Amino acid sequence: MMALNIYGQQLNSRLLIGSALYPSPQVMKQAILASGSQVVTLSLKRQNPAEKSGQQIWRYLQEVVAEVNGHLLPNTAGCKTAKEAITLAEMSREIFQTNWIKLEVIGDDYNLQPDPIELLNATEQLINDGFNVLPYCTDDLVLCQRLYDLGCQVIMPWASPIGTGKGLMNPYNLETIRLRLPDATLILDAGIGKPSDACLAMEMGYDGVLLNSAVALADNPVLMAKAFGQALQAGEQGYVAGIMEQRQTAHPSTPTLDTPFWHQN
Amino acid sequence: MNIHINGKAYSLSNEVHISVSSALTLHFIEPQQSTFAVALNGDFVGKADYDTTLVKNGDSLDVLLPIQGG
Repeated sequence: MMALNIYGQQLNSRLLIGSALYPSPQVMKQAILASGSQVVTLSLKRQNPAEKSGQQIWRYLQEVVAEVNGHLLPNTAGCKTAKEAITLAEMSREIFQTNWIKLEVIGDDYNLQPDPIELLNATEQLINDGFNVLPYCTDDLVLCQRLYDLGCQVIMPWASPIGTGKGLMNPYNLETIRLRLPDATLILDAGIGKPSDACLAMEMGYDGVLLNSAVALADNPVLMAKAFGQALQAGEQGYVAGIMEQRQTAHPSTPTLDTPFWHQN
Repeated sequence: MNIHINGKAYSLSNEVHISVSSALTLHFIEPQQSTFAVALNGDFVGKADYDTTLVKNGDSLDVLLPIQGG
């Protein structure tokens, strides 16, 4: 597999994986390791310091990331304004010692659709403040272009709303973004349900996939994590190998010359 | 004065203001044992500024810790 470049960091895996919703911290750790991913997302929330579970998760994540020589990717989940997202990004940078931020600014509670206006405002400010922004956005070509123009080297359009598992809702939109932004690192983020969704994104020429629920909510998260790792490899290799053009009519694969029992109609 | 830390109300009868560092002792038993970051009224406060940033009546402090995320 070719290396994935995220703001100058070369990564062996093209899968970015979330750390939420697993049956237990142990399963989370095993699944992340099985996925082969070197980028793990996490977040910040209010917590009662007396509760030890949060600190345990934090220890596990540190162990996993160290074991795979990977990177933490903090998100701004739950933010609804640029101001909230910027504050959370600053807090994340202090804690996690990284300029990377998965920028989420939600505009609608029903489908957790990103707010494009607030997203652009937050992106501009965070880039000015030295962040490497990985914006979670819709599959809107012009929005992606604007994010790229602001300086986002990585852009993360959704496949479908977070946690739905509906897969690629608008393949045409996603293909168009790939076509029009050939130099951007495109990560398909959110809505992935099954390994074939990830494979399809890679066959389109996407650079990677970010997912969480599809692995964490599987009956066997560790096995599913492994399946996704393999699906990404298959899709990438298919894209690199060059997929044949579709044809309108059937063409026999087996040579017809000297076919026995030939009936000329 | 009355302040909120992570939405919980605290009433401090003899104070006009306190530092962020002092406010954190209301929230944590051992702040040095935890990984966290702070915002005051929605603005980030870096660790270097905990002693010099003042929390006043009506202020709201957010103390955030790492959790799982997607």
